[in-house]
This record gives sequence, C-alpha cells and structure tokens, in this order.
Amino acid sequence: MKAVKTRCLLSIIPVITILVPLVLHAAEPEEIIKYRQNTMKAIGGHTAAAGAIVQGKVDYKNQLADHVRALQALTADIPGLFPKDSDFGDTKAKDEVWSNRAEFEKRAKSAKTNVAAFAKAVQGGNPQTIVASFKEVGESCKACHKDFRKKDD
Amino acid sequence: MSGRAAVLLWLVIAASPVLADDVRQHGEYLFRAAGCATCHTDEKNHGVPLAGGRALKTSFGTFYTPNITPDPDTGIGRWSEADFIRALREGISPAGEHYYPAFPYTSYTRLTDTDQHAIWVYLSSRKPVQQANKPHELPWYLRSRASLGIWKKMFLSTGAFQSQPDRSAAWNRGAYLVNAVAHCCECHTPRNFLGGFKESRQFAGNSEGVEGTAVSNITPDKKTGIGKWSETDLVEYLETGATPDGDYAGDIMAEVIDNSLAQLTKEDRRAIAAYVMSLPPLENTIHKRTNKKPKPKKEEYE
Ligand code: HEC
Ligand code: HEC
Ligand code: HEC
Repeated sequence: MKAVKTRCLLSIIPVITILVPLVLHAAEPEEIIKYRQNTMKAIGGHTAAAGAIVQGKVDYKNQLADHVRALQALTADIPGLFPKDSDFGDTKAKDEVWSNRAEFEKRAKSAKTNVAAFAKAVQGGNPQTIVASFKEVGESCKACHKDFRKKDD
Repeated sequence: MSGRAAVLLWLVIAASPVLADDVRQHGEYLFRAAGCATCHTDEKNHGVPLAGGRALKTSFGTFYTPNITPDPDTGIGRWSEADFIRALREGISPAGEHYYPAFPYTSYTRLTDTDQHAIWVYLSSRKPVQQANKPHELPWYLRSRASLGIWKKMFLSTGAFQSQPDRSAAWNRGAYLVNAVAHCCECHTPRNFLGGFKESRQFAGNSEGVEGTAVSNITPDKKTGIGKWSETDLVEYLETGATPDGDYAGDIMAEVIDNSLAQLTKEDRRAIAAYVMSLPPLENTIHKRTNKKPKPKKEEYE
C-alpha cells in the first residue's frame, strides 16, 4: 500500500513542476495586478485591524496574534507580487519598481523584518514595545509607497 | 471662547517668541513645516541640503530649485533680510524680476512678519554651500519672466493671513498652517490652464498634479473626499501616513508627512485637522488614468 502511494506521488511531482510554471507564465498581467492589489488590500486590512487593537481603540486582544500571522505570511515575498511585465495597466506601481529593483527589494525586506519584530513584541506582551514596533511597521509601508507608488498613473 | 479672546490669543501665539535663540528655533520649526528643505534639496541624487538642484516636473516644464544657502556667489549670501521678505511676500527677486509660482510664494505671502523674520534668521544660520544653479527647462513662451507680472495680477493677492474672529484659535491656527505655511493647496487645489488656482474648487484634488501625480480630494465630501474619516483619523494620517482603511500615504505626500507634518507638535496637527474637516465638502472624483505604455517587447526584458 505504502509503495503504491509513494509511486503515485512520485509520478505527480513532474506534472506539478511542469504545470506550475506554465500556469504562472500564462497569467495575464491584468490578473497579476489585480491579485497583488487585493493582497495589498489584505495587508492593509490586517494592519488597520492590528492598529486599532494596539492603539486601544477596540478590545480584541485575542485576535492580535491572528493579524500578525497573516501579516507575516502576506509580507513574506512582496517582490514576488511584482513580476516583470506587470508594470502596465491599471497599476499605481512606479516604473522604479522594476528599474530600481535592488532598492525595491530592500524596502520589502525592511517591511518583512519590521513585521517579524512586531510579531516578537506581540509574543513578548510588553505594551510599549508593541506600540513602538507597530509604528515601525507603518514606517516601512510608507517608505516603500513614497518611492515606488504613485497615486494613479 | 469669545471671538475677541480668540483673536487676542492668536496674536499672542503669533507674536510670542522673541529671544534670539528662540527666534532661530521658531524659524527652524516653520522652515520644516513649510517644506523649504524638501524642494531645495536634491535628495534623490544625494544633493547637499538647501543647495537646490531638485527637478520639479510640472505641466509647464521642469523647474530646478535654486541654492538657498548663504553662499555669497551661488546662494543667497548677498541678500538682505528685506530682499528675502520681498521674495516670500511678493515673489520678486532682488534684481526686481518675478519668480515663477513653482516657488509657492502664493502661500508664503500669507506668513506673518514675525514668521518670515524667524525663517530668515534660521536660514542665515545655515552653512554656505557652493553649488551653481541649473537653468529651468521651459517652453520658449514661458522663458520671459516679464509675462509673470500679468499672471500675478490675475492670481496673486499678497498680504499676511488675517485671522477670522468668529472662529476658534485652533481653527485659525489650522487655517494659517494649511494656507500660509504647509501650502496644502499648492498640490490639492486644481489649477486652470494658466496655472492659477480654481478658487471655487479649493482642496478638491488635482488629477494632474506635480510630477504627473494625481492628488486626492481632501474636502470632507463623503463620496469623493475624506468625509468618512473622523478628525482623529486625519490627525493620525498627518503623523504616520496611515489611512483609516489600512493604506499608507505614498509619493510626495509621504515626503510631506516625513519632512514636515510628522515633525509638528500634536496641537498643530490637531489644528490642521480641525480646519480641513471644516472645509465645505466638494464632490470631485480624481480620475484614474491607466498606464497606457505599450506592452514592452520581450527582448527588452531579457
Ligand atoms: C516593497 C514595497 C511595498 C511595501 C513594503 C508595502 N507596499 Fe503597499 N503597495 C506597494 C505598491 C507598489 C502598491 C501599488 C500596487 C499596484 O497598484 O499595482 C501598493 C499598494 C498598496 C495598497 C493599495 C491596494 C489597492 O490597490 O487598493 C494598500 C492598501 C497597501 N499597499 C498597504 C500596505 C501596507 C499596510 C504595508 C505595510 C504593512 C505595505 N503596503 C507595504 C508597495 C509596497
Ligand atoms: C507636494 C504636494 C502635496 C502637499 C504640499 C500636500 N499634499 Fe496631501 N497628498 C498629496 C498626494 C500626491 C496625495 C496622494 C497620496 C498617496 O498616493 O498615497 C495626498 C494625499 C493626502 C491625503 C489622503 C487622502 C486620501 O483620500 O487618502 C490627505 C488627508 C492629505 N493629503 C492632506 C494634506 C494636508 C492637510 C496637507 C497640508 C498640510 C497636504 N496634504 C499637503 C500631495 C500633497
Ligand atoms: C514646491 C517647491 C518649493 C518649496 C516648498 C519652496 N521653494 Fe523656494 N523656490 C522654488 C523654486 C522652483 C524657485 C525658483 C523660482 C524661479 O526661478 O522663479 C524657488 C526660489 C526660492 C528663492 C529665490 C532664490 C534665488 O536665488 O533667487 C528663495 C530665497 C526661496 N525659494 C526660499 C524658500 C523658502 C524660505 C521656502 C520655505 C518657506 C521655500 N523656498 C520653499 C521651489 C520651492
């Protein structure tokens, strides 16, 4: 039984590895743009929700860890949301996202690092550290939007 | 508070700092709030602070900001205080020429005498930097500064801010910061084809702002402006750039927040918010334009 299962799995792997890149290649730029905007909106939603808890506007402390986990997952690979060829259409991304890629990736990394620090602070439970690290997360969102996003193109 | 008390308080606030060091500090505060360094520093190319050279792309051409350090040859080191005040109040250079309104003297003319003096004191205390100015890149019909005289007759009314006695001190402080110092209207008010403000559309946003950016409608209109924001939301945005729905300010607004608004006192941010929320709501959808760049050929990317 076990052997059969393994063989089946093995035979699927090449199919997956071929299919996945095919699917990604076939994705329309418009769809990628919509997908990344929806992901950014989700990041925004979790940030606003976490902010409301952190700033004591609402009392959903039990949910804070959920928002933090979501933020960690969604900010893990922001550059991946901006592949080549997704720079035209209904997007606010500036050309610099592609022409100044190293800097863009640096900003993405700094956001990721700041979210990780925020997660650690939430685990630690010290309110002051939580507030301060949340502010840093916001700073990294603004820092990237400042140089890489315009209001509308 | 009675109207008269508000005016008195306002006068006290406007005229209070007198000691030399206080004056310079007060000047530095205003200098930041007014975004002077933001325009007069070519940060993108790692330029020296206040030595100018930043390109400002507008629909009328590209302006390069001048050196405003006290360098006698390339900066404003030979200027008198009166020269400086005339530049801010009337948009006229020491040689008697008109400045282009890309230099927002249309707002700075509203600064009080005390505040213009303080800015001068602070600016004079900066280190001189030698860096020659770059000429603007303008179409031929705009190169003559003489025609700016006509423009000014149409669109510039000079004179310091007059507080409104029937409004609170905080509201007046907010109105002063918004209209004289932080020049929000320079970006947020649409312009006519001559580059003058559409007065009836104040703060209703601009689909074609500087550097080709669309600028948001910040009147409290529920549908197209920030009418759904609370005053606290706006105070928060002015400090951190966070909008109530979790977005963060970008582009030149992020610059305005980092360099100017986040550095104000909390009271000043509150005053700005109180004033902005009291504006008449104007419906104005800021048009989204899609990036019509033709699809790049594959080989350009490989
Ligand atoms: C490395 C750069 C980068 C970082 C970091 C970043 N963003 Fe963004 N964000 C962008 C770009 C570019 C866009 C525009 C995307 C488009 O229009 O295609 C955007 C768009 C958005 C939008 C608008 C989505 C829409 O279309 O409605 C929101 C909301 C947002 N970001 C929130 C955040 C928050 C919150 C953070 C921080 C936790 C953050 N972003 C961090 C680059 C970044
Ligand atoms: C140099 C130009 C500039 C100046 C000066 C400026 N703004 Fe902005 N503002 C913008 C741009 C561009 C945006 C859009 C930002 C973005 O894409 O995230 C904006 C966005 C905003 C928003 C968010 C609106 C929304 O719906 O998200 C508010 C509120 C705002 N500005 C208020 C102000 C106030 C108050 C001042 C003066 C104290 C000011 N701005 C000065 C350019 C400017
Ligand atoms: C929006 C960008 C912008 C801001 C903000 C700005 N300036 Fe300027 N400034 C300019 C431009 C552009 C010119 C050149 C105008 C011209 O050539 O007609 C200029 C010219 C000047 C000059 C004349 C220099 C000369 O050599 O003739 C002085 C002085 C000056 N600015 C001081 C200031 C001060 C002080 C502030 C803040 C209170 C300030 N500027 C804020 C864009 C700006």
